[in-house]
Amino acid sequence: MADVKLTIAGRPYDVHCADGQEAQLIQLASIVDTKARGIQGGTEVRQLLFAALMLADETQDAQTKAGSAEPQLDSLRAAIALAESRETAARDELRAAISRESAALAEAKKAADGERAALDELEKLRQGAPVVPAPAAPAHGRALGQIADRIESLATKVEQIP
Amino acid sequence: MELDEASLAIGRIERALSRMEKALTDRAARPAAAPAVSATPLPPAEQSALKAEVAAVIGELDRLIAEADRG
Repeated sequence: MADVKLTIAGRPYDVHCADGQEAQLIQLASIVDTKARGIQGGTEVRQLLFAALMLADETQDAQTKAGSAEPQLDSLRAAIALAESRETAARDELRAAISRESAALAEAKKAADGERAALDELEKLRQGAPVVPAPAAPAHGRALGQIADRIESLATKVEQIP
Repeated sequence: MELDEASLAIGRIERALSRMEKALTDRAARPAAAPAVSATPLPPAEQSALKAEVAAVIGELDRLIAEADRG
């Protein structure tokens, strides 16, 4: 315990308090002393009585104000919760939008790559690069063979014309 | 390979056409024979059959070329 000497309304008092609370006690005594000195006239006991009454009045007033502020505090808490909820939703939406944009960019890049390859192929064709011919349809080869047969037969007949 | 088959057929056609061209050229270069013979080198029925075959082959070639153009 700590020993503290206080002076209130001109009278010294020796009081005890827990270690470390000396400064707080002195501060409170100073408030009481200020109130007591503010009361003019009367006995010391009367000065202390009025000081106590004034402090009690201030305490009650502060409690009333705190009580009236409680609903506002609840509203503020609700507003903060709502704002936090909206922020979370906005973050989710932003994340989804970024994901969609990334997918769209990848798709666009793929399309651009395809277009570039097509342009390269076209440029090769313009520069006269050898083009691999499409193989003839099998039916064409057979039909040509049959026509060759008929023309050879015709040639034989022409050769046999006297 | 199919390409070789087509190339072989085209080569055969070219050679057959050369044979026909040579036969017709040789025939035109020969001295004129007796009028009765030169006027009718082939019986009319054979002439018609020959013309019909030539027309048929040309038609077949046209059809094949058109088909190849269409891919």
